[in-house]
Amino acid sequence: MAEIGVGRDDGQLRTFVGSCVGVAIYNRRRKLAGMAHVMLPESKGRKTQPGKFADTAIPELLRQLGALCRGEPVRWSAKLAGGAKMFAFQSGMTIGDQNVAAIEQLLGQLDIPILAKCCGGEQGRRIALDVATGTMTVETMGAEPQRF
Amino acid sequence: MPIRSLTSQTDLFRRAAEEASVALSKWLSRPTSITINQVSVLPITDAAGVLGVTDSPLVACAMQITGLFSGLLVLTSDDASGLALADMLLGREIGTSTEWTEVEQSAAVETANIIGCAYLNAMAGDPQANPNAVAEPLLPSPPWFIRDYAAAVMQGILMAQASVADDVFLTHTDFCVDDMPGKCSLLFIPEADDLG
Repeated sequence: MAEIGVGRDDGQLRTFVGSCVGVAIYNRRRKLAGMAHVMLPESKGRKTQPGKFADTAIPELLRQLGALCRGEPVRWSAKLAGGAKMFAFQSGMTIGDQNVAAIEQLLGQLDIPILAKCCGGEQGRRIALDVATGTMTVETMGAEPQRF
Repeated sequence: MPIRSLTSQTDLFRRAAEEASVALSKWLSRPTSITINQVSVLPITDAAGVLGVTDSPLVACAMQITGLFSGLLVLTSDDASGLALADMLLGREIGTSTEWTEVEQSAAVETANIIGCAYLNAMAGDPQANPNAVAEPLLPSPPWFIRDYAAAVMQGILMAQASVADDVFLTHTDFCVDDMPGKCSLLFIPEADDLG
């Protein structure tokens, strides 16, 4: 939870999300990819856990990816999964909805296109991001994995 | 009383857990035992792992609490233990239930109700937690059943506290019932507004 991981060339980045959102940012040509496990939309000035909040996780993820490509300009793409409403007694715009909205807004401001999105619903998701291809595999309990 | 000060009040939570254990024993007509694993403030990542599982299915019956404290009380189990509880309640041989139909879910929810009410009544009636027991009860909502990846369930359980703090307070009690293959666990997670 609230973690950020990056990789290059091969391997997988994996996480579980319920109301949290897995934000994958990648460049297939350079075989670079990273994922943040965002729990909440806004840090409100808190800096202790950058991966926890959308507005600190995305800049930190881009910083770590930038370090992997030595600051050379890279055209990034994004994929999202998560933002579920885990308990029926959560009402109104849930934390999951707010997370997705905040991430979409931030990626829009950064001109990073979202190429796939698997968000909402009432089930948790197991996410695996293939570093080399940027393919995201999303599993929900009792269903076949989906690949984006 | 601020919740954070309750981290040193293990005996209060033990008394509540013992009451819950007695209620569970009567409900199932079997001996039960408890282990208090945690009454503490933990980094959120550690709190998410208190049940020791992430990608396995976790069954949870969650109750929202209002009154003296607000927050969540959640009864969790793995499939085998939860289904065994259902078999005990339904008077079947353990191992008969193999999936969570409406009947098994209803048995789990009712068990959560029994354990939860006993736990909360004991806390609300304890002068250590509530000097004005009559004025401020602890009221649970009807339990809500979910079955999902353990990590995803724990995220939902911890989210309210995580939204305002990097650490979370929780209590974690395990219940073992005679003939049950594993255990079930009761988690009490007050809302951060009550952390004091």
